[in-house]
Amino acid sequence: MFRNAMLSGFSSVRNVKNLFFPSLANIKQGRVSAVCIRSMSKHSSETEEEFDARYEAYFNRSDIDGWDVRKAMNDLQGMDLVPEPKIISAALKACRRVNDYALAVRFLEAVKDKCGNRVKEIYPYIIQEVRPILDELGVNTPEEMGYDKPELYLESVYDIH
Amino acid sequence: MASNLLKVPIFSKLPSLATRIILPSAAYHRERIGNREVVGFGLNGEPSYIDRTDFPMPAIRFKENSQEITTLREKEKGDWKELSMDEKKTLYRASFCQTFSEMKAPTGEWKSVLAGTFVAMALTVWLYVWMKNFVYQPMPDSFTPEKKAAQLQRIIDLRVNPIEGLASKYDYENNRWKD
Repeated sequence: MFRNAMLSGFSSVRNVKNLFFPSLANIKQGRVSAVCIRSMSKHSSETEEEFDARYEAYFNRSDIDGWDVRKAMNDLQGMDLVPEPKIISAALKACRRVNDYALAVRFLEAVKDKCGNRVKEIYPYIIQEVRPILDELGVNTPEEMGYDKPELYLESVYDIH
Repeated sequence: MASNLLKVPIFSKLPSLATRIILPSAAYHRERIGNREVVGFGLNGEPSYIDRTDFPMPAIRFKENSQEITTLREKEKGDWKELSMDEKKTLYRASFCQTFSEMKAPTGEWKSVLAGTFVAMALTVWLYVWMKNFVYQPMPDSFTPEKKAAQLQRIIDLRVNPIEGLASKYDYENNRWKD
């Protein structure tokens, strides 16, 4: 996924630890699986792969219900990242399990919005990666539904007198 | 915060999502939202509908459950490939008021802001005209062209600022301004 640079800076701090404690370096090469380590700052020491795996596993729960799907989607929207295609695929399959078509389309729109000003590079890639799931489930992208341009007009409450 | 997602909330054990509105405010909220289905946490836990790009899934569906929508929901449980485009759009609009592109569409408000700014500037100019006519006293007579010419001649005679200023621009041999 597309994380900001601060987190990659944090991981370099972990490698310094191996210099001071060479015995530990022998035992555990590579990254520490660190979800439960307490840290003084709110920066998580979770790697990107662990984050992706956690959210994919969350959406892949067979007994998930609409409430949890929506909560996770709203949380993802609040994070400074565009979700990986595998998280998106898992979320779309979760929408299928809760029988909510509109939720799937809304999620795709939300992901497109997260791409920011690089939407022309990122969004086609995501759709290309997620195309098998879209075809399997019969979900149309917002563009196919005509929702990439405004369809209806809603008067702003500030203009109603 | 994110790790709390892994803990299955107690409320999911309740049979229907609607009972997640917990007493004593259940009647209060139900009065306000009518027959609309509560489907999620939304922005802050309150069962309200808001279209926001940073909270894409609101807490309640947008439309109340009518007969047509209920039958569509039954059809939604089957294969989505069998839904027509109209049915898909109906399902979307039943859950959501505006699409993302409608939310983010430009309003053209800047035009009215600019217009209002220009009107205010014009009114200011008219205000100044009124002030000049009715408030300010007449200018002293030293501002008439003849008196100003006489002052300029005095400045030239006194050779004011002869190096870089006004008198340096005057040709004293020929009694006229330098080119």
